[in-house]
Amino acid sequence: MTTALLSSRAARDWAFRGPLIALVLILFLLPPLWLLASALKAPNDIFAWPPTLLPSPATLVNFATAFDQSGFGLFFQNSLFVSTISAAISVLISLMAGYALAKFRFKGETFFFMLIMSALMIPLQIILIPIFIVLKDLGLLNSLWGVILAPAATPSGVFIMRQYIRSIPDSLLEAARIDGTPEWRILFRIILPLSIPAIAALAAFNFVWRWNDYLWPYLIITDQSKWTVQLALANNVGQWDINWPRLLAMSVLSVIPTLVLFVSLQRYFMNGLLSGATKE
Amino acid sequence: MSSIQSTIETTPGAIPASTGKAPGNTPWTKRLFPYLLLTPTVGLLAIFTLYPLVQGLWMSFFKRGIVVVERAPATWPKFVGIDNYIRLFNDPDFFNTLAKTVGFVVIAVPAVTAVSLGLAILLKNRFFGVGAVRAIVFFPSMISLLITGVVWKWMFGLNSGLMNYLLSLIDVAPVPWLDNGTMAQIAVVIVWVWASAGFYMMIFIAGLTTISEDLYEAARVDAASTWRIFTRITLPLLKPSISLVVILSSVEAFKVYELVVSLTGGGPGRSTVYLIQTIYETAFTKANQAGVAAAQSAVLFLILLVLTAIQLRISKEKA
Repeated sequence: MTTALLSSRAARDWAFRGPLIALVLILFLLPPLWLLASALKAPNDIFAWPPTLLPSPATLVNFATAFDQSGFGLFFQNSLFVSTISAAISVLISLMAGYALAKFRFKGETFFFMLIMSALMIPLQIILIPIFIVLKDLGLLNSLWGVILAPAATPSGVFIMRQYIRSIPDSLLEAARIDGTPEWRILFRIILPLSIPAIAALAAFNFVWRWNDYLWPYLIITDQSKWTVQLALANNVGQWDINWPRLLAMSVLSVIPTLVLFVSLQRYFMNGLLSGATKE
Repeated sequence: MSSIQSTIETTPGAIPASTGKAPGNTPWTKRLFPYLLLTPTVGLLAIFTLYPLVQGLWMSFFKRGIVVVERAPATWPKFVGIDNYIRLFNDPDFFNTLAKTVGFVVIAVPAVTAVSLGLAILLKNRFFGVGAVRAIVFFPSMISLLITGVVWKWMFGLNSGLMNYLLSLIDVAPVPWLDNGTMAQIAVVIVWVWASAGFYMMIFIAGLTTISEDLYEAARVDAASTWRIFTRITLPLLKPSISLVVILSSVEAFKVYELVVSLTGGGPGRSTVYLIQTIYETAFTKANQAGVAAAQSAVLFLILLVLTAIQLRISKEKA
């Protein structure tokens, strides 16, 4: 009796939710799929009216144009370089700072923690002018190293590492100290291997943040040979007569690294967020 | 996990009481070690975030022509007190931009909150494929808003865009999505909500899972309507998540820029030029205005500071 009641309620529920979920899928899948379908069409076909939904025949000619005409390969390489190095630096220094804040008692501990966290309240957007001057004084203008170093210290990264390292039992560290293991070895031989899940999540997040950065490189880079992917896209979409076939192919290529990371590390991306949100 | 955490927190001093007789590890270097570990992070933040903030606020009290001041004394910044701020508040263009930005926030934040809450309720319960659906909705928030803007500019094309084609199927005349000021502002809101909803949806799903299923069960036994359940159980118990989403999305909305760069370029005319673009233009493309731009940044900083203070207060109340 009760099961019959339950299943009839479930059926009614699904009759209502099923179409809604289908609608959500269409709304969120249509734009990216339309981008991909358009990028795979021959340049003359993409403006056809009425539009053809699927490319026939599918061609990679727009992708070839992106690489040949606009030097997209170089911009992609620049972005890969910036994102990888910046993520590596950020993970390493967040691991160090997180370890200090999680496992040591020292004078000024709270002060340093608050100092690092207060930087969360200062987005790049409000310090555009002074940061430009700082970068100029350091000789980092028009250099990929400026794009790498300026955002490399991430307060949220320090927070994530601190929370994670706190769950590592002290007994492990104490045993190592009694054996006379130097502090640096404890960090790299005990803390680091045990923090791999947090490190992976943080590395992935940082890579995506830096890959998506537009304002930093826009402020810092002037030479076209040092453009990142986002700068190239902004330049192409800002032109009076947009070369759509080429721009669409470039956009598809720009999403690939994020898509690959997201699909392989989806668990980290979405769970990390959940725990972060509940921690608030 | 939580039991480990609590034992750590109740054990004072993670460093063993005996300072150790480890060779090459004197107590002095040991005491220095945490500071060494903090140096790179604190150093980079000091150089690239904290010092620029102080310097920026300081600059807003000077008349400063260009961003990079030359060595010649004649071009050195001159202290002018709050002149830049007075100029700002007498500048109709700045007020116009500020009003437009606030307008964007006031429309986009409730929109994204409602949409992401709706998505969370729809995708809260487990069913086959729920993970994939959540991931599809979440993914746009991982992509740069610049790329999202390109994708939607393509969708919104007047005579070749998919949106107007789909509308033509139901006999609606082509909509000038990006060629009319008001429509362009609406388009920016639509795309911004589309791009951010998945992120806030995950916060709401986390909040919804903390509400006990027993409450819903009891309400159903009492034959309460779906709407009553929503307004009497879900909404009140979800208040902390709602405030979090409202504040976080407000901060993001005030900083809207990258999306506009690709989607509208600030146009048509200047209808979608918001605060960040104005600050950038004042600082780097207008002559003799770097000090004014610093004052504009300070105004935005104040807005974000108030929002963050509210958020801190709310999360403290929650604890």
